[in-house]
Amino acid sequence: MAHRGVVTRRGPQPTGSYPHAHIQGDMVWVTAQAGRDPRNGELVPGGMEGQLNRAIDNLASILDECGSSLDSVVKAQIMYTDSADEDVMEAVCARRFAMSPPVVTAWGVRFLAAEPGTEVVRVQIDCVAGIP
Amino acid sequence: MSEDRTITIKGAPEPRGPYVHARKHGGLVYVTAQIGRDPKTGDFVKGGFEAEFNQAIDNVEAILEASGSSLDRVVRAQIEFVDEGDLDAMNRIYGERFHDPLPARTSFGVAFLWKGARVQIDCIAALD
Repeated sequence: MAHRGVVTRRGPQPTGSYPHAHIQGDMVWVTAQAGRDPRNGELVPGGMEGQLNRAIDNLASILDECGSSLDSVVKAQIMYTDSADEDVMEAVCARRFAMSPPVVTAWGVRFLAAEPGTEVVRVQIDCVAGIP
Repeated sequence: MSEDRTITIKGAPEPRGPYVHARKHGGLVYVTAQIGRDPKTGDFVKGGFEAEFNQAIDNVEAILEASGSSLDRVVRAQIEFVDEGDLDAMNRIYGERFHDPLPARTSFGVAFLWKGARVQIDCIAALD
């Protein structure tokens, strides 16, 4: 079955040797997104709320490019650095995945990839979605 | 186009956030990570790591059965736990609860889990 990687201008440009997404059959696997502005790669302000909203915006743009959408997300994984952010994290997810919630696995990590000393990435989220 | 259906049941703790217990797609059922919460009260079970992990697997099992699958059809399991000292207990309990054909497994230590949980487990299982 055909499969291919997808890179779009609508997501922050990947910093490593990976695409934004990989399509296989009627599923798309999306690389974890942080709260970076696709125009300049900068982390957006606003702590967990700002970063997670932007990260989900990035997922939405990448999914759209692949013929999918947030409503078709089957499973999401969320990694976050501060347990004090849990309530905000859930509130943001509740708003953004209101139409058709996915299954979720989330866990706390010691750190996430960032420019040392200049920024703190508080959250990242990846997903697997169907292509309707 | 494959069926795409979400599942939330009474036999597992009410999702703590905007999640469903399971979602079917393409002949597989994906299960949200479960922690050691009692489905009746929503509280963590008492008894430490072992009790929590057994309860989490009970929750996964209930969700799988309501979805038309079962523990013996799990293709992949993922386990996160907080304390390295619980590794042996994790492996022992896992071996008691999962049987051939054993699923592929990824497990790793994390900095922390939701509301102080010691362990959680999710899975992807076949429907047929």
